[in-house]
Amino acid sequence: MQESVDTILQGIKWIIPEIILATAFLVILVIGLIKRGNSLVKGLTIIVFAGVFILVASDLYTTSPIVFGMLRVESVSSFIKLLLNFSALFTCLISTRVKEHLSEYFAFLIAIVLGAHLLTMTSNFLMIFISIEIISISSYVLAGYAFDKKGAEGSLKYFLFGSVSAAVMLYGFTFLYGLTGTIDFANQTFTSALLDSQNALAYLSIFFVFAGFLFKISSSPMHFWAPDVYNAAPAPVVAFFSTVPKLAGLVVFVKFLLAINLFGQTSLNWQLYLAAIAIATITVGNFAALKQNSVKRMMAYSSIAQAGFLMIGLIVFLPQGIHFFLFYATAFVIGNLLVFLYINSFENGGTTTIAEYAGFGRTFAIPIVFLLIGLVSLTGLPPTAGFTAKLFLFSSVWTAFEQQGHTILMVLLIVGLLNTVVSLFYYLRIPYYAFLKDGKPAFSHNILHFENFLGAFLVVMLLILFFQPGLLMSWINKINFVL
Amino acid sequence: MQNILSFLILIPLLGSLAALLIRPTQTSLFRWLALIAVTLQLILFIVLVSNYEAGGGFQFVEQRSWISLDLGSWGTLKADYFLGVDGMSLPLIGLAIFVMLIACISSWNGVTNPKGYFSLYLLLNAAVVGSFAALDFLLFYVFFEFMLLPMFFLIGIWGGSRREYASIKFFLYTLLGSILILIVMIGLYLSVNDPSGSGGLVHTFNMLHMSDPSNYISNTILDPNNIVTLGPFSARSWAFLFLFFGFAIKLPMVPLHTWLPDAHVEASTPVSVILAALLLKIGAYGMLRIAYPIFPEAALDFSVMVAVFAVISILYGALTAMASKDLKRMIAYSSVSHMGFVLLGLASGTTEGVTGAVYQMVSHGILSAMLFIIAGVLYDRTGDRLIRNYSGLAGKMPYFFAMVLIAFFASMGMPAFSGFIGELMIFLGAFKSNAHNGLIHESLAIIATLGLIFGAAYFLWAIQRMFFGTYDVKGNARNSILPDLNNREILMLFPLAVVTFIFGVYPQPLLDLINPFATDFVNHLLYQGRILSPHL
Repeated sequence: MQESVDTILQGIKWIIPEIILATAFLVILVIGLIKRGNSLVKGLTIIVFAGVFILVASDLYTTSPIVFGMLRVESVSSFIKLLLNFSALFTCLISTRVKEHLSEYFAFLIAIVLGAHLLTMTSNFLMIFISIEIISISSYVLAGYAFDKKGAEGSLKYFLFGSVSAAVMLYGFTFLYGLTGTIDFANQTFTSALLDSQNALAYLSIFFVFAGFLFKISSSPMHFWAPDVYNAAPAPVVAFFSTVPKLAGLVVFVKFLLAINLFGQTSLNWQLYLAAIAIATITVGNFAALKQNSVKRMMAYSSIAQAGFLMIGLIVFLPQGIHFFLFYATAFVIGNLLVFLYINSFENGGTTTIAEYAGFGRTFAIPIVFLLIGLVSLTGLPPTAGFTAKLFLFSSVWTAFEQQGHTILMVLLIVGLLNTVVSLFYYLRIPYYAFLKDGKPAFSHNILHFENFLGAFLVVMLLILFFQPGLLMSWINKINFVL
Repeated sequence: MQNILSFLILIPLLGSLAALLIRPTQTSLFRWLALIAVTLQLILFIVLVSNYEAGGGFQFVEQRSWISLDLGSWGTLKADYFLGVDGMSLPLIGLAIFVMLIACISSWNGVTNPKGYFSLYLLLNAAVVGSFAALDFLLFYVFFEFMLLPMFFLIGIWGGSRREYASIKFFLYTLLGSILILIVMIGLYLSVNDPSGSGGLVHTFNMLHMSDPSNYISNTILDPNNIVTLGPFSARSWAFLFLFFGFAIKLPMVPLHTWLPDAHVEASTPVSVILAALLLKIGAYGMLRIAYPIFPEAALDFSVMVAVFAVISILYGALTAMASKDLKRMIAYSSVSHMGFVLLGLASGTTEGVTGAVYQMVSHGILSAMLFIIAGVLYDRTGDRLIRNYSGLAGKMPYFFAMVLIAFFASMGMPAFSGFIGELMIFLGAFKSNAHNGLIHESLAIIATLGLIFGAAYFLWAIQRMFFGTYDVKGNARNSILPDLNNREILMLFPLAVVTFIFGVYPQPLLDLINPFATDFVNHLLYQGRILSPHL
């Protein structure tokens, strides 16, 4: 008895950030019950995310033992947690339009971050399922937060897709448990058992598990929910959806991939399938984005394509691949938030389609230039962090091709980079309408002081990461990833 | 003095930032800012030239560490802020500054939204000069990409009626080219080791290290001693082809040229001038600086292909120019034809050919600027560029006619003008090539001479239709009055005419600059190419 209490007490110090998030979730719900529409909750949520950010950053390189047989703190997940909290903090700052059910809104944001935290820290099938459900259920609600017919539709679609893919994943988990006798894939037993039973059933169940992960990171062929959900949800929520669940899903995905790769002894060439998925995701996302009229639908397909790029870091199966994935994730989060910052403020003024941006270049010169910088970074052109990130990622593909000799990697390199040309075509459409087409904005309150302040901060970060990538890479380089 | 190249890039960059801080209502301040910036550049360039010592190698070299990243087991990634000029880049930087000055004068009046225009103009200026001075591949690539967005907006906002289509087309074509270049750049830096690095591997972007086969890390895909075959070609041949076609889009080479006529027809006069005189040169510059020296054996292998593409560009460009009804379109296609000569000189692999190619680049820069200003002069007055709507202008606009004669005859390759020297040397090289190094057959050179005849035909025919006969204007132009050149137009055209004349009658100073570069270039190409190539 005394022993298990000791274990719990020792374990607690590793999960203080998660405890803070869980407590904050409850406190904010209670505040909402006591007093409706209290704007205090927003400030409190911001403080919570900032606090967790600082807490995680202060102890970035720690590796803990396995806590409660479920969770493990290590530096890759800690780094991703920084990005999660940064995104969440930012989402709170730009959530100015939410008026109804304020405390629930912020409580659900916290819940998603909590689920994402847990997801990055675990290699346990049960914990994966629970944390994915924490993220999903809160997301279903947030997706409908516009409280209109479109929102209800988006929310329901999200729910149906999410439930089915979670069920398929769970089905895969049960098979894997049956085959290996363990629910922890980082366990030695798992790898050795899987090594002995490399058969069609094992592969099928692994593909089932992929379904759940690919859904969370909105990768092809599990991406169909994203455009409708993004279109229905309020812009800050979309900014949040396109970064937080995606990154958390990618971290657990890479851990799972390393486990099933069996240190290169697998008889099935996973790299081939994963590279094919990445190529399909990038291509589908980019080509579908070309045809969109709604800004948020376009950004939904953009985030699908970006998921494909993020996957590249995982499937090269190189330690540098993980480092470059983290760099790319940072650049993606900053660029994406910058774009959504302005999409949100223009949406507040009633602008939702790309064509409505006509003539904005004159009225909103600074916002559109900042938006352009964000879009250029997502495309991957200099002088922005997006370029450096793409350069690094594709360098790892080249090296992997050199070392492993799989032709699919060269295809990935060339198709991936050529897709940049396609992506530029749609990313440039907003600045194109804003600067090249004549029109008059439907609203003219040009005083976006707060947005421009935040925007300038993000722009400076994008530029710094281009001119001095060493500042971030020297942090990332200290991260030692072991399963 | 040591940092003079940095200042050449920094001045327009700072000017561009300064333009952003000025209130948009002070419309005339922006053009003065641009003019002062370019004049400062010109003064610095004169200092640069007067301190340049003729000979091979790079001078005014600046090298500072820019990015130095630890990549774990891969070693270190190293990119430098590395600038320098040699006998090829010095004339091109001079051309860039001179043409930018002309373009600034050309946009003196009537630019809407001058704040945006001149800040983009200055940004473009910095990117062009930077591209010509960069010796680090990453730095070059950054400058190269940096030209895209300013040019996109300069065509797209200040262009003609189909400007949106033209600007998007320009952007997508050029970006496609730069992605091809990026793929090779990634492969190159991962394969090349900096020999001066102490201890472990240092992956460098230094172009000079990339040109030396002994710096390749053994067993990498691009290692010349480790021939990896991917499909029909070796990996190094693929890399050369990617670079070649990447730069050929910018050049532009037929059949990758289709963005050029649209971009030129829709762009305003000063933007067309910059596009034709400078941006096309970056394509040829990239081949001379990057594709050829880094992959010499592949360059030798493909020299017949390059020469065939060159001949096709020369003839196709000239014939299409002849069929063009629009004066500006005719001039745009003449650019395709003239840049084909550059490619032919390059393919010949001879000192004469390469010297001629660089000479032709400078000459075409001056002449295309002049030609596009001439088209602009007419368009400003009448809003009509169709050749058939004009006749008998000679009597009405005598000064203009004189300038047209100089520009057209110089472009035809008339002796006493710069175009003649360039084309002469290119043909010397192309005819000599078979006997000298066996790269391309004389027949290609003979076919290419047809381009000169076609060139004379379309220029002379245009003169005959537009300037001779009785004075008559039709179409949109019919109600316009056609005054002769004003002072500002003379200020642009006259210096250009003088320069093309000087380079036509006294080419020696420019040849003295280019020749050491060409000699080194050809020696490296033939020597390394033959060592590395298994079947030459």
